[in-house]
Amino acid sequence: MLTDLFLKFREASKQMLLGTIVLTIVGLVSISSVSQHQDMNFVNTTYFRQLLWTIPAFLTMILTFGISRRNIYKFSYPAYALVILLLLVPYLGPKVAGTYRWIKLGTVHLQPSEIAKIFIVLALARYLSNPRLDINGPKAILVPSVLVLVPIALVFQQPDLGTSIIIASPVIIMLFWAGVRPFSLFLIIAPVLSILTAFHNLSFGIWATVMALILYLARPKLVNGVIIYFANLFLGLLSPYIWNALEPYQQKRVMTVFDPSLDPLGAGYQIIQSQTAIGSGGLLGKGWGQGTQTQLKFLPVQETDFIVSVIGEEFGFLMVLVILIIFALLLLRMLRLAADSDNRFSSLVIVGLAVLFLAHLFVNMAMAVGLIPVKGLPLPFISYGGSFLVACFAMVGLVMNLGINYSD
Amino acid sequence: MLKTENLVPQSRLLVLAGFSLLLILILVFRFFQLQVLRYQQYKVKSEANIIRAQSIPAPRGLIYDRNGQILVDNRPTYVLLATPAEMTDPDSILPIIAEHSGLDLSQLQAAYDKNYRGRFQPIRLAKDLTIYQLSRIAEHRSELPGISYKQFPERYYPAVVRAAHLIGYIREVDRNFLTTAEIASEYRIGDLIGWRGLEKMYEASLRGKNGVRYLQVDVMGRAMEGGAERGVIKPLPGNDIHTTVDSDLQNLIEAEMEGYRGAVVVSLPQTGEILAQGSFPDYPPDLFSGATLSEDWTHYAGRPDNPLLNRVTHGYYPPGSTFKPLVAIALLENEIIDTSQTITCTGSYRLGRRTFACWNPAGHGKVNLRDAIEQSCNVYFYNMIQLTPLDVWAQVVRDFGFGSLAQIDLPSEQAGIIPDTDFMEAKYGQGRWTKGHLLNIAIGQGDVLVTPIQMLTYVNILANQGGAVRPHLVEKGSDYPEIDVTVSPDTWSILQRYLLGVTHGENGTGKLAQPRDTTIVTAGKTGTSENPHGEPHAWFIGWAQQGDQMVSVVILMENSGHGGDVAAPLARKIFQLYFQKLAEQEHHLAYAD
Repeated sequence: MLTDLFLKFREASKQMLLGTIVLTIVGLVSISSVSQHQDMNFVNTTYFRQLLWTIPAFLTMILTFGISRRNIYKFSYPAYALVILLLLVPYLGPKVAGTYRWIKLGTVHLQPSEIAKIFIVLALARYLSNPRLDINGPKAILVPSVLVLVPIALVFQQPDLGTSIIIASPVIIMLFWAGVRPFSLFLIIAPVLSILTAFHNLSFGIWATVMALILYLARPKLVNGVIIYFANLFLGLLSPYIWNALEPYQQKRVMTVFDPSLDPLGAGYQIIQSQTAIGSGGLLGKGWGQGTQTQLKFLPVQETDFIVSVIGEEFGFLMVLVILIIFALLLLRMLRLAADSDNRFSSLVIVGLAVLFLAHLFVNMAMAVGLIPVKGLPLPFISYGGSFLVACFAMVGLVMNLGINYSD
Repeated sequence: MLKTENLVPQSRLLVLAGFSLLLILILVFRFFQLQVLRYQQYKVKSEANIIRAQSIPAPRGLIYDRNGQILVDNRPTYVLLATPAEMTDPDSILPIIAEHSGLDLSQLQAAYDKNYRGRFQPIRLAKDLTIYQLSRIAEHRSELPGISYKQFPERYYPAVVRAAHLIGYIREVDRNFLTTAEIASEYRIGDLIGWRGLEKMYEASLRGKNGVRYLQVDVMGRAMEGGAERGVIKPLPGNDIHTTVDSDLQNLIEAEMEGYRGAVVVSLPQTGEILAQGSFPDYPPDLFSGATLSEDWTHYAGRPDNPLLNRVTHGYYPPGSTFKPLVAIALLENEIIDTSQTITCTGSYRLGRRTFACWNPAGHGKVNLRDAIEQSCNVYFYNMIQLTPLDVWAQVVRDFGFGSLAQIDLPSEQAGIIPDTDFMEAKYGQGRWTKGHLLNIAIGQGDVLVTPIQMLTYVNILANQGGAVRPHLVEKGSDYPEIDVTVSPDTWSILQRYLLGVTHGENGTGKLAQPRDTTIVTAGKTGTSENPHGEPHAWFIGWAQQGDQMVSVVILMENSGHGGDVAAPLARKIFQLYFQKLAEQEHHLAYAD
């Protein structure tokens, strides 16, 4: 059994494992800086807890690496069903920190949505890898959409806008990877853009023009083209009413991204303090434990959502650049594995997981530097958080597992 | 499953890889923008985040007496502070403090509510903590989150003299002051401000300018332990004040007036400098500083003999016979009488159906102006006032500074009341006031009300025979206002002789004011003013001269009897001490040469 595992490891991508370990160490160093002034027993500090979490994370990775591709394929639908059930569980317990996101097991709080996004990718991959599926038929888009929208509806109710976006992000790319025509993807993305641009007259005008151009070049049937065009315009005009239906805190998060200084003590405060931390770090940073924004607690949720602000402040631009390069190499490696895969299912799973990493990376960092609204998403391998670390390691295990070709 | 080369076309890989790298490049560029291009801007901002200015109180100027003795000093005191943001539950923490320190819980709560000014601002709960209280609180620190203490300069009175009314006191600026006072912008909550007496009058000079200490703080605004001090602007100490007060004379009047109600002022008539000044009963000078226990405060505030009132500037008294010289001046200056004119005093005077008594029921017999002043005969003045129009009298009295502020360098005083025709008609109705009122006014009774400090200006003008510098408590050169009275030299010399007679004449009412040493020449006037509160008030106003040195006194003792009996002897003691000290000083100077 162990020898089998070792032989399998020899076939797998070691770069994936190396990158994972390096990023995890960077995360631990950053968390240790934050936790050095925590006024409690060492065993209760976030640093020590994160260190402990690496053990179940590695074990989970070995599990997801060791399990056979056949079994993964076989259990992907039942696992999806289980996920839907798990997402319902937190509603039975009490609210934690104002949300239903957590399941309490003893002293540990688990977030089912962390596991959910992996199983959703598996289910999507299984459905899209079916060789009898007509990839250009309506079912190829409709079924994956339903597979994604059901968990999103549950997560969105919790309410967690960030995770909803993360869950939604792989499906488009996986459809593209499976060979769905770009024009069909455009039909999915167009309504989203119509809604987003609706709040800005110039943007909406440009979008309407671009949409018309794409429709002209794609040359659908005239009636269809006109219907698509005006349906989108109508949706855009309707969206301000949908906007009013959003939770005020969600509206506020979106609003303050455009000008954080509008609300320096509210949601914008976090972005301003985060930018100040990152900007004041400069090229080389202030040094471990020397970041005033971090150490004097000006920076909010520093171990989780704003860990990159800690890194930016204490270790500087060069360290951020190193991290981004490692992430870029990991992503390119995953895409290469997916492209080289001899198996449609494996290929789709790897692409889906790569997109999950990319979405986390981009949303988390773009949020910290004030490019997009505060979402409350962690940074893979680096942010503090047990469930998330385990999920990330599980994903790496899956990628390494499914990245192996058995044909020769 | 067979490996197929084109399971996924290369173009999709390129599109996806390009998309991923694009997103990452956006991040790289943004980090570059923040960390390299805008580094300076954010560096400044992060430093501004953590630096807080903390005020360093400037030491307040000291107050000295005329011989260089310190009357008011500064000393450090410990104050107990509470920071609401760090307190888990004020309702449970305050009782714990009360229990361990022995401080009164209701006072702690009152201080908490009164001084609250935001979650992160420390509230002053109590001051003047003893070392014992500090150590008890320090012991229970873990139960008292948000509670701290710090050193603070406070007024200290080295017990040379009491002089509470003239020194006044300081208090802390509170929210109420900041919302109402005009000069509020110069102050912050917790600053000390002169509130009464010289402390208030010379506030601008005494207070100095607070310094600033820049400290490294965390997001809660708490100073970091071991955090670097980022620069200091030193406080500018306040200027000292050198008063004209002589501690020995001040001690004398404070000791002599023990148990009496009244007011005493001693001054140098030639310069207007006040050597001693007291209002009695008084209160300990540190009543308002330090741990003012509320019982203490209400004890003083509620007493019927009103120790908090400064009688020197705010006490209204009928001047009684001390006003007779003013009637004499009105008569002489307007040539209504001459000094030889006599009146026969039978001990009373009948006007219509009313009888007005002289103080001596046996009567003074045949009296001229000299006798009338020396012996303070009322009947003489009952007769003579009827020859003088009221407004002529009122004008003379006002010329001597009555009915208007004495302009002493204290923050507030009263103007007194000098009745004239308009006043009488307004008060009693046109034609409704009678000669009876006039007779009372003649002997300084009825509607006439004066303050002791006005009396001092009056006696100084008499002593100087013409003008006087306004009374003052602080030496600051010669820019005090003066008051001038135009009276003919003849009248002055007549008056001078008569007032000398009061303390020297065989029947003089003020004989007890004359020291045994006859090189000291005294003059003055006694007064015994009737009032509705019982025994008459005893007055003595006068001066003493030896060589070219002069000293003047105003003594008022409430409900104590005849001025010549009780007030004049105190004047003698003051005169003796003053000239004795002068002799000692000359002696020292002689040796020093």
